[in-house]
Amino acid sequence: MNITSREKGSNAMITITVNGHQQTLDVPSDMPLLWVLRDVLDLTGTKFGCGQNLCGACTVHKDGKAVRSCQVSIGDAAGSSITTIEGLGAKGEHPVQTAWIKEQVPACGYCQSGQIMNAAAFLSANPDPEDEEIVRAMDGNLCRCSQYVRIQRAVKTAAEIMKTGGAATNG
Amino acid sequence: MGEQFNAAGIGRRGFVASVLATGAVGFGWGVLPGTGSKGAAMAAANASFSPVNLIEIGADGIVTVNVTKSEMGQHVGTAFAQIVCEELEANWTSMRIKHVDSDPKWGLMVTGGSWSINWTFDALSRAGAAGRQSLINAAAKQWGVPAASLTAADGKVTGGGKAASYGELVAAGNVGGAWSEDDLKKLTLKPSNSYKIIGKSVQALDIPLKVNGTAKYGIDFKLPGMLYGKIVLPPTRNGATAKSVDDSAAKGVPGFVQALSLKDPSGKFTGLVVAVADTYWAATRAAALVKVDWDLGPNAKVDDAALIVEAKRLQADPNEGATWVRNGDAEGTLAKSGKVLSAEYTTGLNLHAPMEPTNATAELKDGVWHLYGGNQFQTMSVPLVAAALEVDASKVVLHQFWLGGGFGRRLLGDYFIPAALATKALGRPVKVVYNRTDDMRLDCARSPSWQKLSGAVVDGKVSALTQDVACGWPTNNVAPALLGDDIDKKKKIDVFAINGADVWYSFPNHHVRLLDNKLAEATVPPGYLRSVAPGFTVWALESFIDELAHEAGADPVAFRLAHLDGAGANDKGAQRLAAVLRQAVARSGYGTKKLPEGTSFGVALSQGQERAAATFTACIAEVAVNKKTGKFTINKLTVVYDVGTAISPDGVISQMESATLWGLSLALYETTTIRDGAIAAANFDGYTPTRMSQVPPLDVSYIATGVFPTGTGEPATTVIAPAIGNAIALASGARVRALPITPAKVKAALA
Ligand code: FES
Ligand code: FES
Repeated sequence: MNITSREKGSNAMITITVNGHQQTLDVPSDMPLLWVLRDVLDLTGTKFGCGQNLCGACTVHKDGKAVRSCQVSIGDAAGSSITTIEGLGAKGEHPVQTAWIKEQVPACGYCQSGQIMNAAAFLSANPDPEDEEIVRAMDGNLCRCSQYVRIQRAVKTAAEIMKTGGAATNG
Repeated sequence: MGEQFNAAGIGRRGFVASVLATGAVGFGWGVLPGTGSKGAAMAAANASFSPVNLIEIGADGIVTVNVTKSEMGQHVGTAFAQIVCEELEANWTSMRIKHVDSDPKWGLMVTGGSWSINWTFDALSRAGAAGRQSLINAAAKQWGVPAASLTAADGKVTGGGKAASYGELVAAGNVGGAWSEDDLKKLTLKPSNSYKIIGKSVQALDIPLKVNGTAKYGIDFKLPGMLYGKIVLPPTRNGATAKSVDDSAAKGVPGFVQALSLKDPSGKFTGLVVAVADTYWAATRAAALVKVDWDLGPNAKVDDAALIVEAKRLQADPNEGATWVRNGDAEGTLAKSGKVLSAEYTTGLNLHAPMEPTNATAELKDGVWHLYGGNQFQTMSVPLVAAALEVDASKVVLHQFWLGGGFGRRLLGDYFIPAALATKALGRPVKVVYNRTDDMRLDCARSPSWQKLSGAVVDGKVSALTQDVACGWPTNNVAPALLGDDIDKKKKIDVFAINGADVWYSFPNHHVRLLDNKLAEATVPPGYLRSVAPGFTVWALESFIDELAHEAGADPVAFRLAHLDGAGANDKGAQRLAAVLRQAVARSGYGTKKLPEGTSFGVALSQGQERAAATFTACIAEVAVNKKTGKFTINKLTVVYDVGTAISPDGVISQMESATLWGLSLALYETTTIRDGAIAAANFDGYTPTRMSQVPPLDVSYIATGVFPTGTGEPATTVIAPAIGNAIALASGARVRALPITPAKVKAALA
């Protein structure tokens, strides 16, 4: 990857924090955060699904809130703190990840980083959700394998785990 | 049903294998991995032992199963490991899986048709049993005792007061033994009632990687110095050619390399333009600025209506079509019948749209082409890309990844071609990622289908039934060598466009004809979509059965059971189909639960994919219809399978949920159109699979009697639409015959 060979003036040095590490990047400021994460920083756990705010596969946390990284330019993310699936739980032991394994949620798995990041942000804001709240919160995350029964169940399980001590270390 | 069984009776496995093994597509590959690697097994005895090349046992006791099937959500590797572990008597925690690259030694490499377990169960069981016997023999030799005095369990051989772990035995270097096909066949396998790990819901081995971002899909693959390509989408799906390409505006994009206008000798792409840059983002921006002067080709005026006109023309011509079923004289009986019911059923264009957009990376290294990307049909994809590159298939290797969904899309390896040709043109590895619009508009979509059914009832029974099915044949596009002969042995037939119409009901006069809609094939070259032909043949047939039951004044369940008499070739199957129906009746409350006005149960049955590897499936849908607006609510879907043997019960349930909701999605939410020769949908706003808020209460369960296991990934997909359609018709009188079923169509049918 050659990210320094661009014409002068099209890039500005951009500083962001990703999974706790500060990064200074020389990339076009309109490059979507999604492609910076995947192709520049090699954080490929965040997935490209639609590129148009329609599927949620690219969901990450920006300053603790779930955002769709295909819709956030790196310029707009400058100065913020980004958490990706790789940084959610140090060893993949975030309560949502634990619940996802317990309920055997992933099928192909491709949507699941986005599902997990969305669920983690949702639960940190609403730790004891009703079923309808879960459906409303998760409805924007498409799962082509249709693992919805399990996703819904796992969000509840994650809420239980969080209640009984497995606090969310939400980025 | 004897006649059509000749066409289908060899089953797809035997059929596919025999065609490929006879070299029809240039390979001498057998059905299953051979027993090869005997020499290697001995030579490497200290490091590992491999009784047959499906499994390797390391000196550390780790057992690796070489999985030749693709993993796209079905957790197939986990099931394979369970099957091997059972006969090997290994410790479950020592089991590992490895998804292998394409290599002729693996035999036929295809993942689809819900075949994986059904086809490999025996071979994997025997591989495990051979490993166990070899380890016992080694211990017997080491200890100087008869092998019969020793037993193996939990990864250890014990007997006569001694014990050794599998790892220790392999490390000692005494484990060996060549297992020929005949030796393997002689091994006695465990009876199903003594299974320890088969039938247990183990944690799927691929799941931990899929919750922490470490699972690598094809789209995540990267090579040093690699460039990125973005397709410049042609204005029609097939047949357009690029007259000239102007990339001057794209030159302003930093990182842009070049726009390539590529010739594809395989013929899969008629006009292929790829914008190449040093990042995918730059390639995307550049592609939008590349100007192509397109010749739209011959299909630029084709739309859905034109395909139906062609379908009707074919159906009206008695000389057209291949015969799939012929019992008695259906046409003659109908001609003499007092009242003949006729109905036309349709399905629209349906897309795969796997969550991981189609993508591939290519590299030429030491004269060998390496392709990187998830694939479901290596046996066909390798020669296809070789044809595009104009090299011998032996010079192409396909490296497998986790698949971010397959659903049949990755059975056709056309998406490797842009990357391969761009790599060839530039002399550097190129990764081509389709964006969602490319993925949808270049899909080998499921062809629209148009069907006409006619039937009559006498004394509460079907006296005659005809089903004429017209669609684009996917096999003509994906694997022409796999076309079969029709029952008259006069014409070619695509069994993957007609399976499901060969039902287990006993109809004295039954005629099924498959018509080849060439216009559909030329406009949108079709592919195999989850559940394949039964996704439309069962939709039409099971809906029409209800129309006939209504005509007979019969209850739909009783009507079906009356035809499931198990006579002749339907023996052994019809009874199992009746059993899942009875189970679904009991679980759903059909006939016992009191339903309010405007709410009804609807029933549908299917064999899953094909008679030769049937998964008997029943669905009962409970649906409430608002007779003023046409709006309807799915109160519940009850689905029952007969899977023979469940390897992992939770895995079966997971696949049933997924297949059921796919069926729901195709029944109610998914379709697109063909407009001016192009696929209309461009993203998940125009093509709208089921979301969480649309999931109704589900009751999925299965019967497992301990007989041979069958597939679980697709069968439910076939029954949801007809069960819902039948429920709506019973609840409101509105019969909808075109998928997807929408409130507007229900309202129109009410009027
Ligand atoms: S890829 Fe961002 S929402 Fe789909
Ligand atoms: S698990 Fe495959 S898309 Fe969700």
